Amino acid sequence: MAEILKNRQLQIIVMMLSFLFVFLPYFLNVPQLNTASTKLITITSIVTAFTIALAVIAQFRRGMNIINRRSRGWYFKAYMLVTLVLMLGFSLISRETGPYHWVMFAVVNPLSSVNYGILAFYMASTAARAFRARNTKALMLLLSGFVVLIYQAPLTGAYFTGFEPIALYLGSTFAMAAGRMFLISVTVGAIVFGVRVILGNEPSVLGISKEEQ
Amino acid sequence: MAKDNGGILKWMAEYDRRYVYLALFLVMVGPLLRPIGMPISVSPDTRQYYQVLQQVQPGDKVFFTLNTEFSGYNEIQSGIIATMRLLVEKNARVAFGVAHVEATVIPELIVKAVQAEMTANDYQYGRDYIILGYIFPNEAAVAAGAQDFHSVVTQDWLGRPIAGTFLDEIDDWEDWDLIADFTTGIATSYLINHYALRGTPMIMNCIGVMIASEKPYLDSGILLALLQSMRGGAELEFLIGHPGPGLTAMDGFSFGHYALIIFILIGNVGYFGYTRQQQMKISKEAK
Amino acid sequence: MVDFIEISVVAVGTFLAMCMFSTLYGKSSPLYALAEESYIGFATGLTIIWNIDYIWKTGIVNIMAGDWVLLFSILLGAMMLLRVHPKYGYVARLPIAIVLGAQFGLSLRTVIFTGFIQQISATIVPLFTGSTQALLYNWTIVICVIFMLTFFFYTIEMEGALGMSAKFGEYLLYIAFGTVFAQTFMGRLGLVIGFLQSYTIPDWKTPYLLASMVLVLALIMYMDRAGLLEKLTPEE
Repeated sequence: MAEILKNRQLQIIVMMLSFLFVFLPYFLNVPQLNTASTKLITITSIVTAFTIALAVIAQFRRGMNIINRRSRGWYFKAYMLVTLVLMLGFSLISRETGPYHWVMFAVVNPLSSVNYGILAFYMASTAARAFRARNTKALMLLLSGFVVLIYQAPLTGAYFTGFEPIALYLGSTFAMAAGRMFLISVTVGAIVFGVRVILGNEPSVLGISKEEQ
Repeated sequence: MAKDNGGILKWMAEYDRRYVYLALFLVMVGPLLRPIGMPISVSPDTRQYYQVLQQVQPGDKVFFTLNTEFSGYNEIQSGIIATMRLLVEKNARVAFGVAHVEATVIPELIVKAVQAEMTANDYQYGRDYIILGYIFPNEAAVAAGAQDFHSVVTQDWLGRPIAGTFLDEIDDWEDWDLIADFTTGIATSYLINHYALRGTPMIMNCIGVMIASEKPYLDSGILLALLQSMRGGAELEFLIGHPGPGLTAMDGFSFGHYALIIFILIGNVGYFGYTRQQQMKISKEAK
Repeated sequence: MVDFIEISVVAVGTFLAMCMFSTLYGKSSPLYALAEESYIGFATGLTIIWNIDYIWKTGIVNIMAGDWVLLFSILLGAMMLLRVHPKYGYVARLPIAIVLGAQFGLSLRTVIFTGFIQQISATIVPLFTGSTQALLYNWTIVICVIFMLTFFFYTIEMEGALGMSAKFGEYLLYIAFGTVFAQTFMGRLGLVIGFLQSYTIPDWKTPYLLASMVLVLALIMYMDRAGLLEKLTPEE
């Protein structure tokens, strides 16, 4: 059984079949095939949800490692593990009210907000220190940035209406074209990578180590 | 201008970044404590978003998807609440689904914010709106839901069966009249690929970071409308005549932008007035 | 009338938020570590809860309703968990293969259209008919997409016309990046302002926000002066 499960060729065949079973029905439109394909997709969604446990196990291991080694500040890791278990317990009491609700609004939500909001400060200080009109390209970047910043500020956007058409033009053409260009490039790259994986040319993705290749 | 130690120009080139943090914090908090009330212009994209919502008919089934962490909700809550307000006024039937675990509490905040309108329009849970909870953990879940909704969704977020609610009328992507997606990018591309691409009408309210990457979808017709960040939400509040968190924030929003412009200008004055001179001096001495 | 629960939510929320903001001081601190570990712990617990909930509702409930095929999902999921086992890790290869194949099938069947074909067709726009504004927009989009794409050709040497095209594309990209930067900053600013709004509206919350800010700043500065920051901050 172990040899069957370790067989690289079998893995690639299973992956190819799974791919075809999801890819082809989309274009063939046969009801029975669609139903079976949807079933496989549902199974995939559930199996993918299991993978979160792998991340949690890794988190636990790392935490226990730090606690066992008594590294500086190990009690913070102990605190983290305690809060993790507490949250599980709170959810069993109720997810609509009670301590779970309190933790969501007193801890998780404000910290999540600050986690990303702090980037505004970093962006502002980095822009203030790095955005220098050293050459033509930097000057063009600065000018387009300034025009859009001035338009975005509602006060100037409303009173100095000359900025609006230029800012809208920049956003709907240059920025949109850059977004489109990146989208096309990333899509081509993703397709090429996907085909390589399906054909078995990227064994590391399947968890096959270099020694086994 | 001082030659020996650079004086004000040197400070402008090399000031401590914590001044930027403090200045930004003050210009944002100040107007929140003492609102000024500034005018706002409405962009064509927001008008387009508003027009799409105006076409919603009573009884239309709207999939209200929250693809955002709680931090993203802080930015786009104005658009979320204004959109929900409009949908309730149109008597649309709304199903909330979320793609991030932190967003599981957001539907109750939305319902609380529009409680008056929902009461006035006699909205009942199950008949007119339903909260499904965390139903999009990954792309496969989105795709399965698009092809056979009841294969992945059988209960609401508290474990009550959805049988007997308006979701009995939903089989697959064709049965939704509109998808209103509020996103920081979690499952949005999956919704576009598995719903919008197949023809389900879809509108989006995204954070500022995503505007450039979502505009191609708007331009190619996959998306019907795109509401952009907090400013878009404020514009929508202005259009519907119901001020909310978006318009309240616009004062601080304006001053935040000006603070950034001022600091960049200060940096450039310092660069040309001090740093560049120093660099030229050093290269002359090296020769 | 504000109850104790609401006050405690605001007091604790503002304190922890300011602890996380303390990273702006420029030095690591135990207060930041407290905020960080609180978020990691509670958020991880939250993620576990809702994923178990999803597995229960989509898998177990449907199995109990008679959909026996979904038993495979539980079996494959359990096999997937063996990935971390040093001896039986190979058992996870089968579910990984199935999931990867299905995921690629899902994405490849759609991104070919949304990310490639439809984007190319949306770039093919009228260049000689339409209003002045439409023509300006259309020409700009076509020129930008073509020249920007040539900048990212890495497989052939950029010389002659292709080199000039790439150079021009680079200039266009800088204009685009300036616009994107402004939009990105708008987004981040919105995040912070939205967060500050939740702790300044209604008015009774503001003193907690300001008091937390002062308290955390005072603690950080005291610890910095007393040399305690380094001692009490956890190892990276």
